[in-house]
Amino acid sequence: MSHWLELFVHWTAGFGLNYSFLLDAYQRGTLTAGAWTSILLCLFTIVGSLLAGVALAAMLTSGKPWLAKPARVFIEVTRNTPTLVQLYCAFLVLNMLLTQAVGAANPLTPFAWVVIVISLHKGAFHAEALRAGIEAVPAVTLEAASSLAFSSRQLLWNVQLPLAVRFALPSLINNLIDLVKMTAVASAIAVGDITYASIMIWTQSDNVLELMILILTFFGLLSFIVNCVGRVLEARLRMPGYGH
Amino acid sequence: MAIESSVATPVAWPRRHMGKLLLLLIVVAWLVFGAPKSRVFQALIQWSPSLAIGFGQNILISLVAIALGSVLGLLVGALALSPLKLARLPARIWVQIFRNAPWLVLIYFTTYVFPFEIHIGSSYISFPDWVKVTIGLALPASANVAEIFRGAIASIPSTQWEAARSLAFTRGQIFRSIILPQCFKRMLPPWMNLYAVITMGTALASLVGVHDVIDTAQIASNTVNITGFTVLIYLSLLALFFAYCYPISRLTQRLERRYAFY
Repeated sequence: MSHWLELFVHWTAGFGLNYSFLLDAYQRGTLTAGAWTSILLCLFTIVGSLLAGVALAAMLTSGKPWLAKPARVFIEVTRNTPTLVQLYCAFLVLNMLLTQAVGAANPLTPFAWVVIVISLHKGAFHAEALRAGIEAVPAVTLEAASSLAFSSRQLLWNVQLPLAVRFALPSLINNLIDLVKMTAVASAIAVGDITYASIMIWTQSDNVLELMILILTFFGLLSFIVNCVGRVLEARLRMPGYGH
Repeated sequence: MAIESSVATPVAWPRRHMGKLLLLLIVVAWLVFGAPKSRVFQALIQWSPSLAIGFGQNILISLVAIALGSVLGLLVGALALSPLKLARLPARIWVQIFRNAPWLVLIYFTTYVFPFEIHIGSSYISFPDWVKVTIGLALPASANVAEIFRGAIASIPSTQWEAARSLAFTRGQIFRSIILPQCFKRMLPPWMNLYAVITMGTALASLVGVHDVIDTAQIASNTVNITGFTVLIYLSLLALFFAYCYPISRLTQRLERRYAFY
């Protein structure tokens, strides 16, 4: 491992890039821990955002104004305000109030707040995509299902959502790639993700360009993986005669 | 039996917006009777001019960024459409890199990699942080504009090209007098959407030390140091951005519906 690293450092030195911090066990450790935190953040928020998206889409298409109206207001507010401001509102305001209420027993770490905020933020975008998918389910299919005595919950879960997911998959994947990029914002409230770890390193050793290339490659790789998973899912879920 | 419901008559305006009107009334009543006495609200009034100046900085960044991004994006988009493969390749790489990089990372990139002043001849021109952030936002904007442009051109049916060519138009003429005029209409809604997204992206400027609205809010909340004020000022940040971006997004939806093509 360290042999390869040395080779890499030597190779990049040829381009005038100084990657020697990778040979330092402490700085390498910070960076790997940061990368791992970023990956965990992505996994948690992907799951959380999908759950939030399904819940919001179910509320939107429920046909009950007291459910649909709040969901609509939530989505419009979420889509039209910056994530950073939402994160501050959650972390600096809600977290402060929570800490004042329960003291040091506050169970929510900055990591948890980032997961919650980004999940809800991207959930709003998923909900829009899923809503379009749910509305694209042919009325005949719904009538057929309800004539088979499906309850409205069964209808949503067994008929509408499976079809809606197929319809909405391209925009869901698009949202997820956006989500992966958005996790960089976690560094704003000192969650030790890869961006934060890099800031820590470059304030010490002034090698911004090298770290930037590293971070961009890392995020490029993550979005590439999400994209590939999306492609596979799309191919696997494809139904002849439905969707694209 | 579904017929009656499908032709429901629209409710009169005041009744349709009952909830909103009630909310507005409550807010106005609170502003008139409750607020002037509270310290929190007085502090907010005291800080509101500097918040407004900060928000002006955000809007300035977003306007310059979208202008730069549009010019750059149209150039890149035009390159991406060129028949030469050698010209298409750099455009494709540009779009791929800047669409897939996190905005925050790009902003850090432009802030820390660019020098803080430029040396031209014997004079030094300072290169302020907000300009760097603007460039950092203009880069992804340009990649997105290039994609919007490419998408708009591709959405014009190919039969129009063929028809125009059969009337002996040259490639340049087809572009100028047939394709581009139709593209503007199709590009407008996504372009406005991009502008709203960039405006929200300017919030990131505070992280690299630009004195924008969020930075102002943080200073204010630390200076006043009352719980109620902290809550209020962050909520008013949300409200400010919402008030600026929501009308744009509504207009975008309206235009999308009006220009919907088949």
